[in-house]
Amino acid sequence: MDELAEQQAEQQNEPPYWTSVGIAGLIFGIIVFALSLVTSYAMINSEPTGSLFSPVQLLGVFVCLVGAFGAMLATWHYANEYNISIKLGKGALIGLFTGICIALVTVVFNQIWQFVDPDMTQKLIDSTIANFEASELPDAQKQQMIDSTVQSMRDQNSIGTQLLYNLPMYGILNVLTGMIGAKLFGKKEG
Amino acid sequence: MQIRQPILYGSVFLLASIVVVVAIGGGLFYQSAPWILQWQHQTFYSLCHQIADRSFWINGQPMAVCSRCIGIYSGFVLGWLLLPVLSLINSMRLTYIKKIVVFVLLFNLIDAAGNFFGLWHNTLISRTILGGMLGSSAALIFVGDFFHHN
Repeated sequence: MDELAEQQAEQQNEPPYWTSVGIAGLIFGIIVFALSLVTSYAMINSEPTGSLFSPVQLLGVFVCLVGAFGAMLATWHYANEYNISIKLGKGALIGLFTGICIALVTVVFNQIWQFVDPDMTQKLIDSTIANFEASELPDAQKQQMIDSTVQSMRDQNSIGTQLLYNLPMYGILNVLTGMIGAKLFGKKEG
Repeated sequence: MQIRQPILYGSVFLLASIVVVVAIGGGLFYQSAPWILQWQHQTFYSLCHQIADRSFWINGQPMAVCSRCIGIYSGFVLGWLLLPVLSLINSMRLTYIKKIVVFVLLFNLIDAAGNFFGLWHNTLISRTILGGMLGSSAALIFVGDFFHHN
């Protein structure tokens, strides 16, 4: 009983991690949003090739998994700020919240961008249609692909859909990197 | 052998396995929708470039992530599964593992850069192997945290 009370007291004495979560979530949310913006405008401004993927997306080779590293920044900041050790479970929790924060920041910036450039989605749809029309698919299949893709792109604009797709995966991946961060950056005990 | 934090170990294994299954994409379940519109692809849309030519195909559909990413995810799960066995090796100190992770990470970056600038051509298999090395070495960081041998 005493041990449990001691543990609870210890947990209550630990400094809050919300600042670290907020900072890392904001920074990585902006990075993920900026990268998606670059990809979108590169697609809008590229010539239709008939391929479902444009060569500019090759740049994405370097930015794979960027959004999964927010938790490492959060744990690094938390460990450095307070010079403390971080338990694995706490690292996972910091990661989970950072992942949620990244997803939320990305969605908020996406919605704000709708006011900055309200035509972006339409331009993206036009570019995708032009791309499909340049492809060598049979006409019936081409039309089916165009219809379903356009519908899907419109659906993706809703806050609910964006959260549904982004929250779970950013949450899970940042749980893993949060634990890695806790192990790498937490001060060694003893 | 003693296990510490079994719930955390099991939860991470479950979550990482879910990531791998989702990353394999709709081909695993013979989904009929065009692959670009499948929920698995949408889920990884902002996490991976998903270029079909750089992904493995399963049942006529590309996976939801590229070959390097599937290597990272599956490598992590494999490394995680091997933790009980690897914790037998006392010499696996964190400082060495950290160096291995950094080395493998740099190796992946150099490989991607070399391919991008046309210095060499990597393949699906080579990218998967390098990604797998990164994922499994990341899991090795936790050697000694969950399993303890007397």
